[in-house]
Amino acid sequence: MLYDVRHETRFKYASPVTISHQLLKLRPRRSSRQNVVSTELDVTPHPFVQREWTDYFGNAVQFLTVQEAHRELVIASISRVEVLPGMNIMLDFSPGWEVVAQSMQSPTNAEALSASQFCFESPYVDVHDDLRQFALKTFTPGRPLLDATMALTSRIYEEFTYQGGVTDVSTPVRRVLELKKGVCQDFAHLQIACLRAIGLPARYVSGYLMTHPPDGKEKLQGADESHAWLSVWCPELGWVDFDPTNNLIPNLEHVTIGWGRDYGDVSPVSGFIFGGGKHEVAVGVDVVPTTASVA
Amino acid sequence: MSEPQPTSDALANLLAGYQPPAGTYDELIGPDGRPRPHWDALLKDFAGMGINQRRTAGSTAEGLLREHDVAYVAAEGGSRRPWHLDVFPLVIAPEDWQKLEAGLIQRAKLLNAVVGDIYGDQDLLKSGTLPAPVVFANPYYIPHCHAYKAADDVFLQFQAFDLARAPDGSWWVLSQRTESPAGIGYTLENRIVTSRSIPDQFNANNLHRLAGFFRSFSEQLARISDQHLAVVLTGGPDEQDYFEHALIGRYLGYPVVESADLTVRDNRVFLKTLEGLERVDVIIRRIDSDSSDPLELRSVPGHGIAGLLQAARSGNVMMANAIGSGVACSEALLSFMPGLCKRLLGEELALPSIASWWCGQPKEREFVLNNAQRLSVRHAFARRSLLTAGAFEFGETDPALADPALLKDRLALRPYDYVGVEHIRPSTVPCLTADGMLKPVPMVMRVYLAATESGYQLLPGGLVKVSGKDLGTESHLSKDIWVLSNREIERETLIQPLRAATLKRSDRDLPSKTADDLFWLGRYLERADGGVRLYRNLFLRLAGEASLGNVPVALNILTSLLVSQGRLSPSRARRALAAGSRAVEHEIWNILFDPDSPDSLAQVLRNVARTADHVRERLSPDTWRIIERLTSVPNLRWRVHTVSDAVSVLNDLVEAQSAVNGLIHENMTRGYGWRLLDMGRRIERARYIIRVMRELIVRADRDHPGVLGLQLELADSLITYRSRYRAEPQIPAVLDLVLADESNPRSLSFQLATMRSHMEVMPLEDIHGHLSRAQKLLISMHTEVLLADVDKLANTTSRSGNRTHLNRVLNRSEKGIENLTDLITQTYFSHSVGHRVTGNVIRENADDAV
Repeated sequence: MLYDVRHETRFKYASPVTISHQLLKLRPRRSSRQNVVSTELDVTPHPFVQREWTDYFGNAVQFLTVQEAHRELVIASISRVEVLPGMNIMLDFSPGWEVVAQSMQSPTNAEALSASQFCFESPYVDVHDDLRQFALKTFTPGRPLLDATMALTSRIYEEFTYQGGVTDVSTPVRRVLELKKGVCQDFAHLQIACLRAIGLPARYVSGYLMTHPPDGKEKLQGADESHAWLSVWCPELGWVDFDPTNNLIPNLEHVTIGWGRDYGDVSPVSGFIFGGGKHEVAVGVDVVPTTASVA
Repeated sequence: MSEPQPTSDALANLLAGYQPPAGTYDELIGPDGRPRPHWDALLKDFAGMGINQRRTAGSTAEGLLREHDVAYVAAEGGSRRPWHLDVFPLVIAPEDWQKLEAGLIQRAKLLNAVVGDIYGDQDLLKSGTLPAPVVFANPYYIPHCHAYKAADDVFLQFQAFDLARAPDGSWWVLSQRTESPAGIGYTLENRIVTSRSIPDQFNANNLHRLAGFFRSFSEQLARISDQHLAVVLTGGPDEQDYFEHALIGRYLGYPVVESADLTVRDNRVFLKTLEGLERVDVIIRRIDSDSSDPLELRSVPGHGIAGLLQAARSGNVMMANAIGSGVACSEALLSFMPGLCKRLLGEELALPSIASWWCGQPKEREFVLNNAQRLSVRHAFARRSLLTAGAFEFGETDPALADPALLKDRLALRPYDYVGVEHIRPSTVPCLTADGMLKPVPMVMRVYLAATESGYQLLPGGLVKVSGKDLGTESHLSKDIWVLSNREIERETLIQPLRAATLKRSDRDLPSKTADDLFWLGRYLERADGGVRLYRNLFLRLAGEASLGNVPVALNILTSLLVSQGRLSPSRARRALAAGSRAVEHEIWNILFDPDSPDSLAQVLRNVARTADHVRERLSPDTWRIIERLTSVPNLRWRVHTVSDAVSVLNDLVEAQSAVNGLIHENMTRGYGWRLLDMGRRIERARYIIRVMRELIVRADRDHPGVLGLQLELADSLITYRSRYRAEPQIPAVLDLVLADESNPRSLSFQLATMRSHMEVMPLEDIHGHLSRAQKLLISMHTEVLLADVDKLANTTSRSGNRTHLNRVLNRSEKGIENLTDLITQTYFSHSVGHRVTGNVIRENADDAV
């Protein structure tokens, strides 16, 4: 699938902002399943400083500073991305989850070592016993890792209600477990916390959903905004994505920006401003299938 | 008084009750039951002192510590406690120290290499030398710090270790401090206080001085900083170890700054000063790594500098220590040190660690579960403060883990979070008891190393930590460490700041936040001053000691004065007036001492204390002491039962305030800081004068010699008036004295003239050579007051019966003062606090108004 992606963030301030630093993780990431045909960033007013680097997790980071006084800042990220179909995953054929958890205690190869850094608490993901108990209802002894993970994804989808405004980024995962409500970010964090609570490596994925599904198909939850889901690491197969907000394994409708331990590592736009008073943020995301040639 | 020569009797006496427990090493008494030779000089002198003199030395030390207001915070969120010191030092023999030195330098090198590897190639993890969870499960591991450029590959400029001595006389390392090791400031303070409390003994011993270490460290920073500025970055006065942040800054000659004082522009760090931005390239970091950058890390709100991490990663600012250094503090590392040493340095580890079992490994976990009673089990990644660490080091188990069933649960969920540590019997050290004798008490010592041009250097001294329990007190005690030398030691002083001679110090680098605090300190001091004069007069009049016409009118005037100065709300004033003089008295009582009322004198004094605390390193110790006395007066409420008690407390306050003013006037250099402080005073004094005049003179229905007398008294100008006119006060003459007379330091004109002269020196917001807006404003205000015709101002207008002209002049002046305050604030204190914004669907905070 070929997509034209446009992600626009518009800040409006009540009084002038004198300095605005923005840390952006907006550039879709190239991977075996995703080809980034083109990507550009359009910022108004023009930043005084702009630099780029690759972060520790391999995501593209763009940093900019606007130093002229402004009341409005518009950051538009425009990309053309080709998403390739994933392989057909046989959930039942994955190793038992305990084997994978055990292997994380003393990883024996580079890939496992790298995965093992996603087994522990991180700034936005606390690991507690109640999350472990919640996970263990699905992760019964000997159950294949991916089968159990999919089952947990479905449980979250069924037992939790998608509702904006009841949580914010500082809502602890345990609270989400009590509330049984939240948005994509909460559900991704929740499932990650459950997996880590039983020693499994899970990472947070930031990206988009196709915003205009083909006729007759329902629009997915979380389209029109930036979306989040998670990946679990399975020996031999590598990282496999799961979307608890939509109860599915992402395939052609998900565009990936990047990944990290949790939201904090891949927050698409985080800024630090001086001045400004009250502010408003408007975010618009369009992910439109296109037929233009890849070349 | 001449002391008798110490006899062997005196020595035997001193040691008579000294009985070290069997099976441990005693620092003083050797295996032959006799004192070890390196204690000879100290013991002889000490025995010669006699019991009384020894006790005096102890109280001298306590007195000095109180005077220097040395405090620490024992635990997160805890209250400030006084620091305690036992003047009897630990003496260490030269050869003993040399052995330790080599081992510690190796360990410091090793830990630096470990941190470099963790944030670099991670060879240690890939090769299995260090299990991955020791790093990845460690909350002080910050992945964003990868690819950090450290000058000379030094990530840890500064390290500390806690040590205990084994029964065989060798040393164990108990803990490694790499984040921002605390305690070196206290070590300095201990040395200063000890050397002053027992000066003869100090001079009789040939012991290493501490200054050289600090000089090498400071030279190293100067070498790296390339002529730019180095700063000490602190979380502020509420921080656990703020005392030592300020001391280190003062001693090394670096500005002590908070996050809001710094800003990142174009990937470089700057200090916001009165004259603009000044490049900073070394930061002695005393804030937590994970709160150092709100842009990339999940900082505590209000902490950190946006963009700092990227500037540091790019090598544009040197962090001492590097952000993320705390990863090497964990006790989980201890058992891996021998392997790490072989792998990274190709050497055997010289100095052993205390035996420990990290529960991230199955066999070790099993061992800890089975031997929990014989071990001290604790959180492997917990942060421990300087002194409370002692409790654990003496073998206590985290009480939360004492229950075996609970421990098993915890280990099942997060085994890697726990470590079991062997119980030890640390050596004992002689401590001075309350009755002037010596007692053996278990000890741990903290030592410090710094990176210098020639490698790591060990501070020849340190901090002994002794549990207060063993001496029958609640608080922990510390001691100085005297490291003896075989060579003659050069005497160096610790009191002189190191860089005073080499560094030009001006107010150029006065952080604008400090400038703001000084300005407010001036304002609060003057508010307190005006308040005290007002209340004192009111009480005197209520007590009938001074007359003010008939009583109802007087009460009316007194309460309206309080209302005009913002000290009493109009509705409460009306109610009190209706209820009579007792009620008015009661109200005054309240606004004087009520700690909860925002307008009370107690509150103003609290503000004085708070702002003074922020700028403490800029005040002389004497000024600080008097400010402390001043701000503690409202606590004397219990002493106040009658009006005359109140007057006597207020008299004390006036005295203390005069002392503060005098010291500030005499001792502060005439830099921008002093000028801003003084302008803060002038602004408040001008407002006070204007408001008193408006209440007492504008209204002609209050014309009465007593009211004019009150006016003169409140303006502290009665004596001047009497000596000048030798007559009952007349309105034009009073106006001349308190409004226009420039020679009267309490007149409005004097305040304006003083501020004019300050503003002539202050840096301008525009550098085109024009007058600044503040200057123009001051000139016009000053001119109006100077040119005022007092006879005309004294006239009442027929319509209202009031002095309308005067009222207009006063209103304009008051408005002018307000504008001036705004201008000063905008021009000099533009350290506006930034805040986070995110372009995410999910809100940053539930209360974020969108």
